[in-house]
Amino acid sequence: MSTELRVEKVSKSFPGVNALNEVNLTLKGGSVHALLGENGAGKSTLIKIITGVYRADSGSLKTNGEEKFFESPVEATHAGIAVVHQERNLIPEFSIEENITLHNPPTRLGIVDQSERTRMAKEALQTLGFEIDLQERVKNLSVAQMQLVEIAKALVTHAKIILLDEPTASITNAETVKLFKVIKNLKDSGSAILFVSHKLEEVYEICDTVTVLRDGESILQSQPLENYKQSEVVDAMVGRHLTDRKVELREVNRNVMPVLELVDVQTALGHEKISFSLYPGEILGMYGLVGAGRSELARSVLGLHKITSGEVKLNGQVVHIKTLRDALHIHHIGYVTENRKEEGLFLTFPVRKNISITVLSRILQKLGIISFQKEDAISSKYVERLGIKVVDNNQLAGTLSGGNQQKVSVAKWLAAETNILIIDEPTVGVDVRTKASFHELIIELANTGLSIILISSDLPEMITIADRILVMRDYELVDNIHNIKDYPTISRAVMTAIHPV
Amino acid sequence: MSTVLIMRRIVSDQRVVLTTLTVGLFIYFGLKNSAFFSTDFVIYPLLRDGAVLTVIGLAQLCALSVGHLNLAVGRMAAVAALASGAAYQYWHLSLIPGLLIGLCVGGALGFVAGLIIVKSQVNAFIVTLAMDFALLGFVTFVYVTFTGATAAFITKPKGMEFWRNTSLHQYCIGGVCGPKVFPMMLVPAIVALILVGFLYAKTRLGRELLSTGSNLRAAKLSGIPVDYRVIMAHTFSGLLAALAGVMLAFTNGSFTASIGSQFMLPSFLGPVLGGTLLVGGSVQVLGTFIGTMLTLVIRQGLSVQGIGLETLNIALGLVLLTALSLGQIQKMFTTIRMRGQT
Ligand SMILES: Nc1ncnc2c1ncn2[C@@H]1O[C@H](COP(=O)(O)OP(=O)(O)OP(=O)(O)O)[C@@H](O)[C@H]1O
Ligand SMILES: [Mg+2]
Repeated sequence: MSTELRVEKVSKSFPGVNALNEVNLTLKGGSVHALLGENGAGKSTLIKIITGVYRADSGSLKTNGEEKFFESPVEATHAGIAVVHQERNLIPEFSIEENITLHNPPTRLGIVDQSERTRMAKEALQTLGFEIDLQERVKNLSVAQMQLVEIAKALVTHAKIILLDEPTASITNAETVKLFKVIKNLKDSGSAILFVSHKLEEVYEICDTVTVLRDGESILQSQPLENYKQSEVVDAMVGRHLTDRKVELREVNRNVMPVLELVDVQTALGHEKISFSLYPGEILGMYGLVGAGRSELARSVLGLHKITSGEVKLNGQVVHIKTLRDALHIHHIGYVTENRKEEGLFLTFPVRKNISITVLSRILQKLGIISFQKEDAISSKYVERLGIKVVDNNQLAGTLSGGNQQKVSVAKWLAAETNILIIDEPTVGVDVRTKASFHELIIELANTGLSIILISSDLPEMITIADRILVMRDYELVDNIHNIKDYPTISRAVMTAIHPV
Repeated sequence: MSTVLIMRRIVSDQRVVLTTLTVGLFIYFGLKNSAFFSTDFVIYPLLRDGAVLTVIGLAQLCALSVGHLNLAVGRMAAVAALASGAAYQYWHLSLIPGLLIGLCVGGALGFVAGLIIVKSQVNAFIVTLAMDFALLGFVTFVYVTFTGATAAFITKPKGMEFWRNTSLHQYCIGGVCGPKVFPMMLVPAIVALILVGFLYAKTRLGRELLSTGSNLRAAKLSGIPVDYRVIMAHTFSGLLAALAGVMLAFTNGSFTASIGSQFMLPSFLGPVLGGTLLVGGSVQVLGTFIGTMLTLVIRQGLSVQGIGLETLNIALGLVLLTALSLGQIQKMFTTIRMRGQT
């Protein structure tokens, strides 16, 4: 019998929310199924129930005809289900190959077979076209590289049912293309695949059937995707008709002193001859493949890595930024990290305290006492503005859905009122509607004079909001494109810069 | 918010559970043996010990708030008591100046511990453990050198008797006097509870300490001077340990080398039972007091039953494990799960 996984009438609630309400879903061998929905719709919760991380309140799960819920993730793995969770689950101190073969290391006479392990890991990474030293520790990898390791970890089990929760969230187009090749091969060999993504172009490229969740209810249930237009799927997710916004060109005055200027900067990490200027109110995009060195450059400017030669100028003055604290408090530069879980959020804090952490000095009363009223006002403002789905401001950040956590980690910097904001992958895992309001907010902030460096692997996003796009390749700037916000023209220009012929 | 939700919140609040448990156990022991309700012989000493142990619990809580441990709380208390004792004996200082000297010494020790941790990047566990050993040697040496056979500073500053033996009973307003069971020793403990509680609940500094404990890297990227905060947490820890040390010396009536030697375990029990996370980022100040009282009620209750010391310790351990597994372990697991995968 062919592979099949059937979820019937599954419900699950958390304090204050019904995360899932009688949801149905059917996965069939030889087909790729899209699971769509806005942030907090319940996608990850459903995947966690299927894989035994959470226990359902009611409903049933049938895997290849056998009806039972898995008691634990291990049991699900043994039943032939592989999963890439939305959040990374790698062991930072372990090497790449140890992580990839973590669930089931190859053994000989009870001892781990080193060479077999290397072979397995290599094979899995090769299918993804990802070359890297297998002995490197995972803690030294970038977010995108970790994502690829995580996918390899799922592939190595040769499972017949594969659940992918936003596998493409933090990788660029080039890696996605390779991943899709792998998914197609798996599909042809009869695997059943569940694919979660907020990037609808991708969904249409790879998926056959679709389930849409809204506030924990299945609005579309296992329908053929080709029967629906993209806008119809969006409407199903949002629950009302969402109009396209038109993209506007912005005027940036570049005849003034740049707020930030890099002259022939060279870093300890290997950047060479980096020169660019950022003007007041400008949104400067930085695009490049995974490993091109964009985040690393940003972090070097902020003093997290050494700058070995060249000059960094702020408003015409040469500066040496030593610590992030100086960057923030003396130079008024904020940095939104791409790594929300490790660097962006305080999971044991409520949403309110997460957002206010950068503005404490502005909401103080006498004696260093925090004004809870002001704190509440600021956090509520951004919760509303970014559509963060919370029970209330006091919900712990650790209990938010992935996309909503992302919004919180960006919100605290939007609240910070700096002069320069470096934003690294701000909309990873954020749904269509919020992305739009986020873009509006960014443009609004730039209009008030904030200068923004936007690092994003999401090319449509880049073309929608950036005024100029710097293209980076192998730790060098290779192009500086004036963005006329015409997708075909600009995307071609960017691609040519990345892959010169 | 609906009443059901409020009810559920109240019931799931660890402090409420703990208080109920403490009071319930107290009544249970009292019913079994009415001697347990004796104001003079049980309740007063119980509260007086509770005062000292609450303060040492707060000392540990400060270190826990940034995700560190202070294994030297006991010895910091000892050195501070030694400094105060010496100040009374040799320099004939009066009560408050002598106390202040002890507090300064404790704060300085904590500061040094924090500084070493930050500069050397060595784990707080190792640094404070090493410090504990070093101070142990130092304390013994000083007492033996300076006091010879007595091995104690016995000068009692004026007012010491009042703090160690009297209760709020002494104070009357318009003919209404304070309760006799309320030891004066509780006053400094309550002051400490209020100050520490205020620090963590209301102030920017407290928020920054907690964020350092919750996620060091995120705190750093948010522009918080995490190194200073770590040093500060340890300074506060040392300061409170010193207060506890001097309070114990007052209670005992002399300054000896053994002060603080029984502090280590209670310093963890109070905060952890009260709901403070061992991994940092969340503290329960009032919970520390309740947790401390719970352990004391159990200990005292069992010993009034005439249970031998060994059995008593076993029983105490078991009850604590149960209490821990109900509340704290569950809480810790959810946090770890949250950190693990959302
Ligand atoms: N451990 C938890 N405790 C409390 N609430 C939770 C917990 N996990 C999830 N939730 C809530 O359940 C709802 C569904 O969350 P889920 O993570 O499934 O969303 P999602 O569809 O995966 O969203 P995203 O696109 O942002 O990843 C959210 O409102 C979230 O706040
Ligand atoms: Mg999710």
